[in-house]
Amino acid sequence: MATDPDKVDAAFFDELRKHYSEEEIVELGAFIGFNLGYHTFFGSLKFYPLFSPDGRLLTQAESEKLYGATPASLKSKEAAE
Amino acid sequence: MTHIAPLPKGKISDPEMIELIAEAEKLGVPDDLFPRIVARASEQAKPLMRALLLSHAQGNVDHRLKETIRVLLARFANDKYFSALRSRKAREAGLTEARIDAGCFEYESDRSFTEAEKWALRYADQMFLDASKIDAAFYAELKKHYSEAQIMELGAFIAFHYGMQMFMRSLGATTS
Repeated sequence: MATDPDKVDAAFFDELRKHYSEEEIVELGAFIGFNLGYHTFFGSLKFYPLFSPDGRLLTQAESEKLYGATPASLKSKEAAE
Repeated sequence: MTHIAPLPKGKISDPEMIELIAEAEKLGVPDDLFPRIVARASEQAKPLMRALLLSHAQGNVDHRLKETIRVLLARFANDKYFSALRSRKAREAGLTEARIDAGCFEYESDRSFTEAEKWALRYADQMFLDASKIDAAFYAELKKHYSEAQIMELGAFIAFHYGMQMFMRSLGATTS
Protein backbone atom coordinates (compact mmCIF):
# COMPACT_ATOMS: atom_id res chain seq x y z
CA MET A 1 0.00 0.00 0.00
CA ALA A 2 2.83 2.41 0.82
CA THR A 3 5.42 1.60 -1.79
CA ASP A 4 3.49 0.05 -4.72
CA PRO A 5 -0.28 0.26 -4.21
CA ASP A 6 -1.00 -1.23 -7.66
CA LYS A 7 0.21 -4.57 -6.32
CA VAL A 8 -2.70 -4.63 -3.85
CA ASP A 9 -5.18 -6.06 -6.37
CA ALA A 10 -7.99 -8.65 -6.37
CA ALA A 11 -5.50 -11.56 -6.31
CA PHE A 12 -3.75 -9.96 -3.34
CA PHE A 13 -7.07 -9.75 -1.45
CA ASP A 14 -7.83 -13.40 -2.33
CA GLU A 15 -4.54 -14.31 -0.70
CA LEU A 16 -5.28 -12.15 2.36
CA ARG A 17 -8.65 -13.92 2.77
CA LYS A 18 -6.84 -17.23 3.17
CA HIS A 19 -5.31 -15.88 6.38
CA TYR A 20 -7.66 -13.20 7.70
CA SER A 21 -11.38 -12.57 8.04
CA GLU A 22 -12.91 -9.65 6.13
CA GLU A 23 -13.22 -7.81 9.44
CA GLU A 24 -9.49 -8.27 10.09
CA ILE A 25 -8.59 -7.16 6.54
CA VAL A 26 -10.58 -3.93 6.95
CA GLU A 27 -8.96 -3.38 10.35
CA LEU A 28 -5.49 -3.92 8.87
CA GLY A 29 -6.15 -1.74 5.81
CA ALA A 30 -7.45 1.19 7.85
CA PHE A 31 -4.58 0.80 10.34
CA ILE A 32 -1.99 0.79 7.54
CA GLY A 33 -3.61 3.82 5.86
CA PHE A 34 -3.68 5.69 9.17
CA ASN A 35 -0.01 4.95 9.85
CA LEU A 36 1.03 5.72 6.29
CA GLY A 37 -0.38 9.21 6.64
CA TYR A 38 0.57 9.96 10.22
CA HIS A 39 4.15 8.74 10.15
CA THR A 40 4.89 11.01 7.20
CA PHE A 41 3.31 13.94 9.08
CA PHE A 42 5.16 13.08 12.31
CA GLY A 43 8.39 12.70 10.32
CA SER A 44 7.99 16.27 9.06
CA LEU A 45 7.67 17.50 12.67
CA LYS A 46 11.06 15.97 13.51
CA PHE A 47 10.30 14.47 16.86
CA TYR A 48 11.73 11.29 18.22
CA PRO A 49 10.91 8.80 21.01
CA LEU A 50 11.39 10.13 24.54
CA PHE A 51 12.97 6.91 25.78
CA SER A 52 15.79 4.62 24.67
CA PRO A 53 15.01 0.90 24.24
CA ASP A 54 16.43 0.31 27.77
CA GLY A 55 14.16 2.96 29.28
CA ARG A 56 16.51 5.96 29.60
CA LEU A 57 14.95 9.43 29.18
CA LEU A 58 16.52 11.05 26.10
CA THR A 59 16.83 14.59 24.79
CA GLN A 60 15.47 15.01 21.25
CA ALA A 61 19.07 15.38 19.94
CA GLU A 62 20.11 12.11 21.64
CA SER A 63 16.99 10.37 20.40
CA GLU A 64 17.54 11.52 16.81
CA LYS A 65 21.09 10.10 16.98
CA LEU A 66 19.84 6.82 18.43
CA TYR A 67 16.79 6.24 16.28
CA GLY A 68 17.86 8.16 13.17
CA ALA A 69 15.81 10.23 10.78
CA THR A 70 14.78 7.24 8.66
CA PRO A 71 12.59 4.50 10.16
CA ALA A 72 14.26 1.08 10.28
CA SER A 73 11.73 -0.35 7.78
CA LEU A 74 12.67 2.25 5.16
CA LYS A 75 16.41 1.80 5.89
CA SER A 76 16.03 -1.91 5.02
CA LYS A 77 14.23 -0.96 1.83
CA GLU A 78 16.97 1.52 0.88
CA ALA A 79 19.63 -1.13 1.55
CA ALA A 80 17.82 -3.63 -0.68
CA GLU A 81 17.66 -1.19 -3.61
CA MET B 1 -17.25 -3.67 -6.91
CA THR B 2 -14.76 -3.28 -4.07
CA HIS B 3 -12.38 -6.03 -3.01
CA ILE B 4 -14.18 -6.07 0.33
CA ALA B 5 -17.95 -5.87 -0.08
CA PRO B 6 -19.69 -3.13 1.93
CA LEU B 7 -22.24 -4.22 4.51
CA PRO B 8 -25.86 -3.69 3.46
CA LYS B 9 -27.19 -0.61 5.27
CA GLY B 10 -29.83 -2.74 7.00
CA LYS B 11 -27.09 -4.73 8.74
CA ILE B 12 -25.77 -1.64 10.53
CA SER B 13 -27.78 -1.27 13.71
CA ASP B 14 -25.53 0.78 16.01
CA PRO B 15 -27.40 4.09 16.51
CA GLU B 16 -24.21 6.18 16.63
CA MET B 17 -22.93 4.61 13.41
CA ILE B 18 -26.28 5.27 11.72
CA GLU B 19 -26.07 8.89 12.89
CA LEU B 20 -22.48 9.22 11.59
CA ILE B 21 -23.53 7.83 8.19
CA ALA B 22 -26.39 10.34 8.05
CA GLU B 23 -23.98 13.16 8.97
CA ALA B 24 -21.58 12.04 6.23
CA GLU B 25 -24.35 11.81 3.65
CA LYS B 26 -25.46 15.32 4.55
CA LEU B 27 -21.90 16.60 4.06
CA GLY B 28 -21.32 14.48 0.95
CA VAL B 29 -17.93 13.16 2.12
CA PRO B 30 -17.79 10.25 2.49
CA ASP B 31 -20.92 8.82 0.90
CA ASP B 32 -22.25 5.60 2.46
CA LEU B 33 -19.68 3.29 0.81
CA PHE B 34 -16.74 4.08 3.13
CA PRO B 35 -18.73 3.63 6.37
CA ARG B 36 -20.39 0.44 5.08
CA ILE B 37 -16.94 -1.04 4.36
CA VAL B 38 -15.32 0.03 7.63
CA ALA B 39 -18.44 -1.15 9.50
CA ARG B 40 -17.11 -4.67 8.85
CA ALA B 41 -14.59 -3.86 11.60
CA SER B 42 -17.27 -2.61 13.96
CA GLU B 43 -14.98 -1.40 16.77
CA GLN B 44 -12.88 0.65 14.34
CA ALA B 45 -15.71 2.10 12.29
CA LYS B 46 -17.04 4.77 14.65
CA PRO B 47 -13.68 6.37 15.58
CA LEU B 48 -12.66 6.35 11.91
CA MET B 49 -15.90 8.05 10.87
CA ARG B 50 -15.73 10.57 13.72
CA ALA B 51 -12.12 11.48 12.83
CA LEU B 52 -12.91 11.75 9.13
CA LEU B 53 -15.89 14.06 9.67
CA LEU B 54 -14.36 16.14 12.47
CA SER B 55 -11.05 16.74 10.71
CA HIS B 56 -12.77 17.77 7.49
CA ALA B 57 -15.83 19.74 8.48
CA GLN B 58 -14.87 21.21 11.85
CA GLY B 59 -11.92 23.17 13.24
CA ASN B 60 -10.38 26.56 12.63
CA VAL B 61 -9.12 26.26 9.07
CA ASP B 62 -11.42 27.33 6.21
CA HIS B 63 -13.47 24.31 5.14
CA ARG B 64 -13.26 25.33 1.46
CA LEU B 65 -9.46 25.22 1.67
CA LYS B 66 -9.55 21.82 3.38
CA GLU B 67 -11.96 20.52 0.72
CA THR B 68 -9.54 21.67 -2.01
CA ILE B 69 -6.66 19.99 -0.18
CA ARG B 70 -8.69 16.80 0.23
CA VAL B 71 -9.34 16.58 -3.53
CA LEU B 72 -5.69 17.42 -4.30
CA LEU B 73 -4.59 14.53 -2.07
CA ALA B 74 -7.17 12.10 -3.47
CA ARG B 75 -6.03 12.84 -7.00
CA PHE B 76 -2.40 12.42 -5.95
CA ALA B 77 -3.30 9.11 -4.27
CA ASN B 78 -5.05 8.08 -7.51
CA ASP B 79 -8.10 7.27 -5.39
CA LYS B 80 -11.15 7.35 -7.64
CA TYR B 81 -13.57 7.15 -4.73
CA PHE B 82 -12.63 10.19 -2.64
CA SER B 83 -11.62 12.14 -5.79
CA ALA B 84 -15.21 12.01 -7.01
CA LEU B 85 -16.89 13.15 -3.77
CA ARG B 86 -17.58 16.80 -2.98
CA SER B 87 -18.52 18.58 0.23
CA ARG B 88 -21.92 20.24 0.03
CA LYS B 89 -20.89 22.55 2.88
CA ALA B 90 -17.91 23.80 0.83
CA ARG B 91 -20.01 24.17 -2.30
CA GLU B 92 -22.64 26.15 -0.39
CA ALA B 93 -19.84 28.36 0.94
CA GLY B 94 -18.88 29.17 -2.64
CA LEU B 95 -16.22 26.60 -3.57
CA THR B 96 -16.47 25.83 -7.30
CA GLU B 97 -15.05 22.98 -9.36
CA ALA B 98 -12.84 25.48 -11.21
CA ARG B 99 -11.42 26.67 -7.89
CA ILE B 100 -10.72 23.07 -6.81
CA ASP B 101 -8.92 22.39 -10.11
CA ALA B 102 -6.90 25.57 -9.76
CA GLY B 103 -6.00 24.56 -6.19
CA CYS B 104 -4.86 21.16 -7.40
CA PHE B 105 -2.92 22.10 -10.50
CA GLU B 106 -2.00 25.79 -10.72
CA TYR B 107 -2.20 27.45 -7.35
CA GLU B 108 1.43 28.64 -7.54
CA SER B 109 0.73 30.85 -10.54
CA ASP B 110 -2.89 31.73 -9.69
CA ARG B 111 -2.93 35.18 -8.11
CA SER B 112 -6.39 34.64 -6.63
CA PHE B 113 -4.88 32.32 -3.99
CA THR B 114 -3.56 34.12 -0.92
CA GLU B 115 -0.06 33.38 0.39
CA ALA B 116 -1.65 31.55 3.34
CA GLU B 117 -3.69 29.33 0.98
CA LYS B 118 -0.62 28.64 -1.16
CA TRP B 119 1.41 27.54 1.88
CA ALA B 120 -1.38 25.20 3.00
CA LEU B 121 -1.61 23.71 -0.50
CA ARG B 122 2.19 23.31 -0.63
CA TYR B 123 2.03 21.57 2.75
CA ALA B 124 -0.35 18.97 1.32
CA ASP B 125 1.47 18.76 -2.00
CA GLN B 126 4.90 18.17 -0.49
CA MET B 127 3.86 15.90 2.39
CA PHE B 128 3.64 12.83 0.16
CA LEU B 129 5.64 14.09 -2.82
CA ASP B 130 8.83 15.06 -0.99
CA ALA B 131 8.40 15.23 2.79
CA SER B 132 12.06 16.25 3.17
CA LYS B 133 11.02 19.69 1.87
CA ILE B 134 8.78 20.15 4.91
CA ASP B 135 11.63 21.25 7.14
CA ALA B 136 12.12 23.85 9.89
CA ALA B 137 12.14 26.69 7.32
CA PHE B 138 8.86 25.41 5.85
CA TYR B 139 7.22 25.35 9.30
CA ALA B 140 8.60 28.84 10.03
CA GLU B 141 6.86 30.05 6.88
CA LEU B 142 3.60 28.27 7.79
CA LYS B 143 3.71 30.00 11.20
CA LYS B 144 3.59 33.39 9.48
CA HIS B 145 0.11 32.53 8.20
CA TYR B 146 -1.34 30.03 10.68
CA SER B 147 -1.37 29.46 14.44
CA GLU B 148 0.34 26.31 15.74
CA ALA B 149 -3.14 24.87 16.42
CA GLN B 150 -4.15 25.47 12.80
CA ILE B 151 -0.91 23.88 11.54
CA MET B 152 -1.58 20.77 13.64
CA GLU B 153 -5.17 20.73 12.37
CA LEU B 154 -3.95 20.93 8.77
CA GLY B 155 -1.18 18.36 9.22
CA ALA B 156 -3.43 15.85 10.94
CA PHE B 157 -6.16 16.41 8.32
CA ILE B 158 -3.69 15.86 5.48
CA ALA B 159 -2.20 12.73 7.08
CA PHE B 160 -5.51 11.10 7.98
CA HIS B 161 -7.34 11.78 4.73
CA TYR B 162 -4.40 10.67 2.57
CA GLY B 163 -4.18 7.45 4.58
CA MET B 164 -7.88 6.70 4.12
CA GLN B 165 -7.63 7.56 0.41
CA MET B 166 -4.79 5.05 -0.02
CA PHE B 167 -6.88 2.49 1.84
CA MET B 168 -9.91 3.05 -0.43
CA ARG B 169 -7.65 2.97 -3.48
CA SER B 170 -6.35 -0.43 -2.38
CA LEU B 171 -9.94 -1.67 -2.19
CA GLY B 172 -10.59 -0.57 -5.79
CA ALA B 173 -13.41 1.68 -4.59
CA THR B 174 -15.36 4.09 -6.77
CA THR B 175 -18.37 6.12 -5.69
CA SER B 176 -21.41 4.04 -4.68
